[in-house]
Amino acid sequence: MKKCRILGLFGNFDDAFAAIGDFKNHKVDGITVDDVTFLSPIEHPDIDDVLGPRPSVIPKVTLCGASFGITFGFLFLASAQSNFLIQPQGGKAIVPLPSNIVLTYEMMILFSVIFTVIAFLVTTRLFRKRKSLYSEHISNDQVAIEFEVDEKYIDQIKAVFKDNHSVEIREEVQS
Amino acid sequence: MQNNEVYKDINEDLKWTQINKDILQSMENPRKGYWISVAVCLFLIMFAVVGEIYQYQIGMGVANLNWPHMWDLYIATFIFWIGMSHAGTLLSAILHIMNADWRKPIYRFAEAMTTFSLMTAGLFPMIHLGRLWNMYWVLPYLTDRGIWPNFRSPLVWDAFAISTYLTSSALFLFIGMIPDLAICRDNARGWRKKLYTALSLGWRGDDRQWRNFRRTYLIMACFLIPLAVSVHSIVSSDFAMSIMPGWSVTSFPPYFVAGALYSGCAAIITLFILLRYYFRWEEYMTIAILEKTCKLTFAIAMVWTYLNLIEFASVWYGHSAADKEVLLAKFSGPYAPFFWGMIFCGSIVPFVLAFEKWRRHLPTMMVVSILLNLGMWLERWMIVTPTLSLSYHPIAHDVMWPSWVQWFIVAGSFGWFGLLFLVFVKVFPSVSMYECKEMVLHRRELANKEISPVMANGPGGGAPAPGVANKSPGVEGS
Amino acid sequence: MSLSNLVDDWSKYRKGREEGGYHDYEHMWGMSIDLNKCIGCNACSVACYAENNLAVVGKEKFEKGQGMHWLRIERYWDEPDLGEERTAEFQQHGASFLPMMCQQCNAATCEPVCPVAATYHTPDGLNAQVYNRCIGSRYCSNNCPYRLRYFNFWSFYEDSWPAPLNMQLNPDITVRDKGVMEKCTFCVQRIRTVKDKARMEDRKVRDGEVQTACSQTCPTGAIEFGDMLGMYDPETGVAETRVTKMWRKHQVELGKTKQNKQTPDMRGYRVFEFLNTDPCVMYLDRVREV
Repeated sequence: MKKCRILGLFGNFDDAFAAIGDFKNHKVDGITVDDVTFLSPIEHPDIDDVLGPRPSVIPKVTLCGASFGITFGFLFLASAQSNFLIQPQGGKAIVPLPSNIVLTYEMMILFSVIFTVIAFLVTTRLFRKRKSLYSEHISNDQVAIEFEVDEKYIDQIKAVFKDNHSVEIREEVQS
Repeated sequence: MQNNEVYKDINEDLKWTQINKDILQSMENPRKGYWISVAVCLFLIMFAVVGEIYQYQIGMGVANLNWPHMWDLYIATFIFWIGMSHAGTLLSAILHIMNADWRKPIYRFAEAMTTFSLMTAGLFPMIHLGRLWNMYWVLPYLTDRGIWPNFRSPLVWDAFAISTYLTSSALFLFIGMIPDLAICRDNARGWRKKLYTALSLGWRGDDRQWRNFRRTYLIMACFLIPLAVSVHSIVSSDFAMSIMPGWSVTSFPPYFVAGALYSGCAAIITLFILLRYYFRWEEYMTIAILEKTCKLTFAIAMVWTYLNLIEFASVWYGHSAADKEVLLAKFSGPYAPFFWGMIFCGSIVPFVLAFEKWRRHLPTMMVVSILLNLGMWLERWMIVTPTLSLSYHPIAHDVMWPSWVQWFIVAGSFGWFGLLFLVFVKVFPSVSMYECKEMVLHRRELANKEISPVMANGPGGGAPAPGVANKSPGVEGS
Repeated sequence: MSLSNLVDDWSKYRKGREEGGYHDYEHMWGMSIDLNKCIGCNACSVACYAENNLAVVGKEKFEKGQGMHWLRIERYWDEPDLGEERTAEFQQHGASFLPMMCQQCNAATCEPVCPVAATYHTPDGLNAQVYNRCIGSRYCSNNCPYRLRYFNFWSFYEDSWPAPLNMQLNPDITVRDKGVMEKCTFCVQRIRTVKDKARMEDRKVRDGEVQTACSQTCPTGAIEFGDMLGMYDPETGVAETRVTKMWRKHQVELGKTKQNKQTPDMRGYRVFEFLNTDPCVMYLDRVREV
């Protein structure tokens, strides 16, 4: 079966949410709200209610980054300090915990941030080639609903879009 | 017009298309005033380069540094720039977590200010070194000599903290800008389109991207706040961890952080007024937002004043003769005019911010914000120099004034910061477009209005796609 | 990585500070300076200049405070100010002189703040400055409460020793370029030479064998230098070193911030002891008529 992509542009959030409501109510058999991709210029505060809860893995990655930062930071510092053959001590310990706490803290934050950013870039699939179905209006003031489904659903989806006053519909067939 | 209507944070009838248009026009080809500002900045930088080359070749003595004044304006200006960088974090991160949406039109340039102040501050630890060409020894890298930097030293903590802060702030700025760069990409032509296409990394605005974006932004904001506090505490520990009277003060970390927030807020007011005037952004950088920023600055000014007084009080309670001598020298010694200037600018001038009439008067706010920053710079200088002019040992009592080399380099740092900022405002959107749209949405909800009139399906809304009918001006490439 | 190094160092450190002695240290070079004997002639300072290739910076730079005197004679007047009325023509009690050089503190405040670890503590009890490693951040000098560290603000070697004065330079020690910190080293080049000689001859360093330039030159013998670990050895009959004797006599001990003196006759004191720097230089207070 050929996969087809379809994008329906709407002029405001209410129309788009109404269309999603229709899909939730199974107006089109075989299409659920989980197939919906919703494009918009901002994040609407009620989007989670409309689309249902969707998970994000980023907080877990941040936790990994923080723990990595703490362990790597402290071990690196302690080994570098104990590696000195002659110690610039000033009467203090070889591995001074107060100084090392400061640097461990910084390393924790640095690695948390770096890990979070990498996770962000990966989960948002930003570096992949941008799919061609896009409209400049989305970054301006229109919102869109996108599907990537079998060909047979396309006409029904189009009908739902038109019922909900969509401004424009774009589609594309993947070969 | 009634007072309530004029002084809104943002006009909730602002159409989203209008937001795009207004901000994108700031990136058009610059007018004469811009080139004059760039020329002034380059001139100041040239002064600094001349001074630095002279100092590099001949030695630190040309800066009038001597025994015991081993540190002077370089360290003071370094701390000043690090301090100024805290504003962006305050606005972006702290106010974000507190859901204060009045920050939305102004945090982008504040974040840029953070990144550029850090880039400026990072020059000074290099400039003040006697053997600057070896400065990379402060970084931990594997050498065949098996030697590492001394991690006990607050200067190494500085190196780590500032690089962490610079990296995190730059990433925070960039990631927060991605949706805006997508807007620029969709409206640009020529070399700009290529630049924005590359930088926006293929942002489409789908819900997966927005969801992860929101999480990332919140997490980074949560990390950036303790980072900012720790960075300036670490910078203050250059002094607090030493043994010198007047420096070995436990309240330095919070004192410095309060001073940093203070000078950052003052700088925000300055840049706010400049950008509002230059780009005609009265709709976005409204008087109401300025008032809120001024009130925040006033609050921080009172915190700073309190911590200053606490420092005096702790010297008075303790019986360290050397500390008392340093404090009295600040009040009545050779550096007293600058000390009292700092007290005036830092503790008395902010009372202007308590009056509504003055808060709304832009020229007054411009002058006040510059005076506040001057006060903060003097504060840093008055921390460094009076202690060194006295210290514990009576033989080391000496008064020293900086030479032209130091003043040139300090001036040049302002030129460098200005240049970076000027380049930023012309290449990147210095107001966050998508956040302004969110703010309009939120304000409309609060006022029980529907969102659709400001979106495409509203009256007169829905500009045709660019390239199809050339009604709205796109952003020109060269 | 040297975990064994860490464990070794840790046990050494704990022993040293707690038990007030430095058992594992080979030597602990210390000084005792008798201020009664010091006449302020500055011969020690000049000797230090000669021995350590110190640059004579000239009147203008010295007035600006950029002098390089590792050992300085500080002059204090008992009546600092003769006052507006000028009741006397000059101070009645004369001046007190305090020769100050790097105190080689055992808990040196300069060591932990150097960003590149250019200053460290040797097993001899000396605080060493590594000119090669110094990048000139000058934090160590700011953190020294005695202000005994000097910075090369200019390239002094360019014009301090015009020919043939450069023939007078000591070949055992470097000439420093601009941008590095320097300070008194207790003439470490002399210490090393004597130690090497003793090792070659398979014996211990004898008391009085190492003389710093200042102690050698002092006309009144105010400066005593020696090994503070040189205790009386009953087996070999070797007497304790003079410096150890002075410290013991005046009841000044290392590792304390406040000395426990039995009688006020014990004139010995250490400068800024309360800052817990644990210096190795003891001064004997000047006695005046009451």
